[in-house]
Amino acid sequence: MIFAIISLILGALLGYFCNITIPAEYSKLFSVALLAGLDAVFGGLKAVTLKTFDNVNFVSGFFVNILLAALLIYIGDNLSIDLYYVALFVFGLRIFKNMSFLRHYMIKK
Amino acid sequence: MLSTKHSRVSIILVCFILGFMLAVQFHSTQNTLKSSTQYQRAEELSQRLLQIRHERDALKKQYAAQLKSPDKLSSAAVIEAGASAVEGPGLVLTIVDSDKKALADENVNLYVVHDEDMLRIVNELRAAGAEAIAINGQRVVATTEIRCAGPTISVNNERSAPPFQIKAIGNTETMENALKMRGGVIETLGVWGIKINMKAEKNINIPAYNRVNNFKYAVPVEKGDNK
Repeated sequence: MIFAIISLILGALLGYFCNITIPAEYSKLFSVALLAGLDAVFGGLKAVTLKTFDNVNFVSGFFVNILLAALLIYIGDNLSIDLYYVALFVFGLRIFKNMSFLRHYMIKK
Repeated sequence: MLSTKHSRVSIILVCFILGFMLAVQFHSTQNTLKSSTQYQRAEELSQRLLQIRHERDALKKQYAAQLKSPDKLSSAAVIEAGASAVEGPGLVLTIVDSDKKALADENVNLYVVHDEDMLRIVNELRAAGAEAIAINGQRVVATTEIRCAGPTISVNNERSAPPFQIKAIGNTETMENALKMRGGVIETLGVWGIKINMKAEKNINIPAYNRVNNFKYAVPVEKGDNK
């Protein structure tokens, strides 16, 4: 767990000092990708507590979710379907659900 | 299951990427904030402040340099230009708005001190031989304006509100008499209840003119060039 947090902080530092700015036209895609990544991580956390954590599942879920989310938004934009909000809704809902599950689990423990 | 080596590596990788993405997104958001108008306005103002500070410092230097190598200006010219503070005997006038109530059909404007009243007083003082005049601490020089600025009066582009204080160095008696003259300034303003308190003092201090004039259009002509 500690490794995970340390690597998270390291990544954040690198990202901050790399001075990368996402251009405005891709900011939508990136934010959804970020949300998908967060969702995958929370899903992983939940799996850990349920003791159903599967490494391949977790890693593939993380990357595929991110790419898929960005791709879907991109396609939606080109077809003028606002899938952005749908993705926000779905991922947001799932993150909240997973978080409340984690909370329940902690309280029970 | 966390303990297996593979999963640890993958979790570290995933967390690293997530952290990276979070930071990049954060950074981008900050940058978009910077392009918002309010932020830009603040930026612009601070830029201007900086620029004006530079200008001020440059002028200070220029001033100091000029002090070091004076062009042997005669003291008359120094006093006339307001280049230094001066002291001497003179009058201190305090001019206060009228506290009379305006009648219903009368213009309230008649009861407050106007730029024109100030101009008349200053003019009278000058006619009576005042050598240096200051209005609320602003030295009156050749380029000084006395202008109406809403409810205030602007002198040397510095606004001030009543009560106005005029300091004048010169022959106290002459100046006093000039102001108190029959049909003179004090009498006419007194009709409206505008009070002018006069006090003769042995030693008053009048500050220097605190602005730098850049003469853009007027160029001095050498004495020999006169045609």
